[in-house]
Amino acid sequence: MAVAVVLLSGAPFHGGCCRHKVFLSLLGPLLSNSKLYSSYRRPGAEPKKKLSWQNADFSFKKSIDHLKTQLSLLTKETQDYLQGPGGHPLSQHVLEQTRVLWQFRSQEDLNKWVISSDVEIGGKSKVYIKLGRNNQAALLYGTLNTEVPRDGETKYSGYCSMRSRPAVGSFNRKKYYDWSNFNSLYLRVRGDGRPWMVNIYTDPYFSHQKDDLYSYFMFTRGGPYWEEIKIPFSKFFFSSRGRVQDNQHPVWLDKASFLTLGLTIGDKVDGPFQLEIDFIGLLNDRAHREEFAYETYDKN
Amino acid sequence: FTASLLLGTTLTISSNHWIMAWAGLEINTLAILPMISKSHHPRAIEAATKYFLTQATASALLLFSSMINAWQTGQWDITQLTNPTSCLILTSAIAMKLGLGPFHFWFPEVLQGTPLTTGLLLSTLMKFPPITLLYMTSPSLNPTVLTSMAILSTALGGWMGLNQTQIRKILAFSSISHLGWMTIIISYNPKLTLLNFYLYALMTTATFLTLHSTKASKLSTLMTTWTKAPTLNAALLLTLLSLAGLPPLTGFLPKWLIIQELTKQDMA
Repeated sequence: MAVAVVLLSGAPFHGGCCRHKVFLSLLGPLLSNSKLYSSYRRPGAEPKKKLSWQNADFSFKKSIDHLKTQLSLLTKETQDYLQGPGGHPLSQHVLEQTRVLWQFRSQEDLNKWVISSDVEIGGKSKVYIKLGRNNQAALLYGTLNTEVPRDGETKYSGYCSMRSRPAVGSFNRKKYYDWSNFNSLYLRVRGDGRPWMVNIYTDPYFSHQKDDLYSYFMFTRGGPYWEEIKIPFSKFFFSSRGRVQDNQHPVWLDKASFLTLGLTIGDKVDGPFQLEIDFIGLLNDRAHREEFAYETYDKN
Repeated sequence: FTASLLLGTTLTISSNHWIMAWAGLEINTLAILPMISKSHHPRAIEAATKYFLTQATASALLLFSSMINAWQTGQWDITQLTNPTSCLILTSAIAMKLGLGPFHFWFPEVLQGTPLTTGLLLSTLMKFPPITLLYMTSPSLNPTVLTSMAILSTALGGWMGLNQTQIRKILAFSSISHLGWMTIIISYNPKLTLLNFYLYALMTTATFLTLHSTKASKLSTLMTTWTKAPTLNAALLLTLLSLAGLPPLTGFLPKWLIIQELTKQDMA
């Protein structure tokens, strides 16, 4: 409050030309895209992106084309809605036991995923993704480097990850799927023996839950044979901001937008890695009766 | 918490003064919040937060409406709500409390995040005080606004419940639809609203308790309950048909009487 008074009283002294600078300095944190508590850019991190309002394209023709695309998406969504839940008949929804979510057969399938590494925080790991031989799988490969960036803040480094893009419907609305009929995640992969972590982000409504994540491990075998890995959803443990929480609960799948299904490698071992992924899907394993793997009893 | 719920409900339905009615509604809101968030699951916390925000806003609007009326007319009596602005604000407040369209968006999400027994309380007991207030102020309220809200609720409750696969959301939309039926007749024959509410509460209680005993929360689970409890499944079938309003089951009675009354009022 006192600072604001000093700043505003200083404005007429410096002349009218500086008044807008004072105004902008007060509103700076609100106008900028960075978090309020830190504007420091780590070495190696990408420069600040343009603000969303600076990216606006005022071309009339493009806006008409965009509107047409969105309206066609909305028409398709309405037709799907008339057909049944998720665009399929109710009988299919009730009886299905498997579903393929992502498969990698073309560049378009690869574009549904985003790769990232510790370069964001100034690290030196490298990660790439491309289509495998005969366009039958995705190949995620790179080099893990655990060298800590010298910025005085970071203690650990060395991770690479691949995350799915959120599913959006018409007019960029979030799409929600009901995956409660399934109880396992099914992946057909061929790894190099390194352990991976599978993360599920359920896109909560309120911002104080935005750091919540459900994770489990995926151990790959090196070798020429493909593996079919089933990870039950009951095994996923709950963590927030990277810390495993005391109060554990199972992941709810009824409103599964699954903004992120991520595969992360961070096993603290320097060197190359590669993972081939054929497809990722869901499975209703009738033999798996466990509801939740961790501490289901009442705690004090 | 159950005792607090009963206290709040009794306080509201037996009060003559707006402040007592408001206090009863607040006690109800605060008492049900720990019951919604009992499991500490993030979705339950989300449901509790959404419930609190909407109910607090509605309570504030209700208090605001009563204060405007007290300022204009000097009356704090519930049945003496005569100021038109107060009536409009009260209508929107009660609509928000009940989950009437277009203030219904919170209800399916909140019901989905709660256990079945708490969902039962949300659908029945928590609706009773606002309906009582609507009953007591019905002569002063704008019939056009109520009718529009009622038609919107009935339509939205029916259409949006079509593609749902989670049973609690289906029951939420059923509740919204039934509230539409209750609201449309309140200006003409308030007793039919109460009859509709009592029968709806009875049928919903039966449905919720059956689903609770079979632990069915989604349609695919419901498909296999006939092997575990065939008699209960058959009873659930009849209860759901009654909820839908199929003659000759009980649920048809309030719909028939409402349509008959609306026909007399040249509305059907």
